[in-house]
Amino acid sequence: MRIEEHPVRQFDRGEKVSFFYNGQKMEGYSNETIAAALHAAGIRRLGHSPELHRPRGLFCAIGNCSSCFMTVNGEPNVRICVTRVEDGMRVEEQHGKGVIST
Amino acid sequence: MKKGYEVVIIGGGIVGCATAFELAKRGVTDVLLVEKGFLTSGATGRCGAGIRQQWGSELNARLALESTHIFEHLEEYTGYQHSCELHQGGYLLVAYSEKEWAQFQENLKVQHALGIDAKAVDLKEAREIVPFLNTEGMYGATFCQKDGHASPFHCTQAYAQGAERMGVEIATYTAATGFQVKNGRIAAVETTKGTVEAKLVINCANVRAPGLAKLVGQDIPVCSERHQALVTEPVAPLMDCMVMSFLRSYYVQQTPHGSFVMGIGPQEAPSFNFQTSWQNLERCCAVICEALPALRGLQVVRHWAGQYDLSPDRNPVIDEAEQAKGFYTVCGFSGHGFMVSPRVAILVANYLTGQEDSLDIHRFSAKRYETGELLLEPAVV
Repeated sequence: MRIEEHPVRQFDRGEKVSFFYNGQKMEGYSNETIAAALHAAGIRRLGHSPELHRPRGLFCAIGNCSSCFMTVNGEPNVRICVTRVEDGMRVEEQHGKGVIST
Repeated sequence: MKKGYEVVIIGGGIVGCATAFELAKRGVTDVLLVEKGFLTSGATGRCGAGIRQQWGSELNARLALESTHIFEHLEEYTGYQHSCELHQGGYLLVAYSEKEWAQFQENLKVQHALGIDAKAVDLKEAREIVPFLNTEGMYGATFCQKDGHASPFHCTQAYAQGAERMGVEIATYTAATGFQVKNGRIAAVETTKGTVEAKLVINCANVRAPGLAKLVGQDIPVCSERHQALVTEPVAPLMDCMVMSFLRSYYVQQTPHGSFVMGIGPQEAPSFNFQTSWQNLERCCAVICEALPALRGLQVVRHWAGQYDLSPDRNPVIDEAEQAKGFYTVCGFSGHGFMVSPRVAILVANYLTGQEDSLDIHRFSAKRYETGELLLEPAVV
């Protein structure tokens, strides 16, 4: 779902890009965040709670709350609500704590 | 609060609470502990929470070794319902100069004589312990598996609750403001909640202890030094041990939760400043990321400041006021109070109840700064 018309704001969505979510090809716009692209595709479960691994959705949308952590291009703990989607990006759901590369 | 108590302890950190517990265990249960804020609101709750036995002086190594034995079963020792979160992942002490490396060999002799299981490791072995360690500029390291860390909050609660069960009274948000001395003996403590009579007063107020001691004319040469620590977001387990350097004055460890806790020594004059500074944050991150480059991408989520009660020889001061007998000050731990507190509390409680102790409490007297019999410690941040 995307808001097409808005009384105050105008949307410059940019170019159409394709990226991979859990290995599945998806489409988004270059001026949108990863979270917006996933939301438009109907994906609501973004992160998992650290102790009981319960699903977490979009919450703060400003990069503060740690509820939308995903692994992007191999980098863990990316706040997808404030990270723009790029062409060919590999976005993966993160289970448990992120593994940083040594 | 009653009208009077046998003993009044000032300070609800680990030292005050452990001392209350040890006194109660020895039958002295008519004890009041006053704390200005909440328990662990001072240095205890802000500390790096490391427990290490790799000391360079026999005295500190013994205090730490015997304290570790208590930390290993603190829950049973105090009857605590939760875990004190002790994790013995080891300490890797790295040497950045030839002189430091030579000193480490001397330290190992002291540790081995006491039965502390520490060993020297070369750079290859160090990288086996911490695979992503940048060993550039390092001469070698020493490692002791039985070092580690525990939760300062749980440890203090364990002691406090154990003491309360035996009859000790704890008054939080109650600050000591003055003292009454009669015929050269301490008679009463004035607090923000009223005056209480006391036969003995134990001043465990960390950096505020010298100021309180001054009120009864006791001169404690301990000053307050701001130290800062920070913690990152949690990630999957990467390293089990603490990495620490004296020369570069840093320490870094991963907690069981997955976050990295780290700190670096200050470059500033003593102060009562509890604010954090961006200069410290920047310097700390730069130094830690050089030693452990894998941490570069991590986000810092919190940064805080606390105080070291710094004594001239960086070792505790335990002394009775001459002008007010029965007033004891226990402070000056200089950043390693948490890890030695169980044993120090036993020492103080043994002394005050007239029981024998294998350590001589008079070695910690403030008179050592006049006589020159300092407790020198080569292995301190």
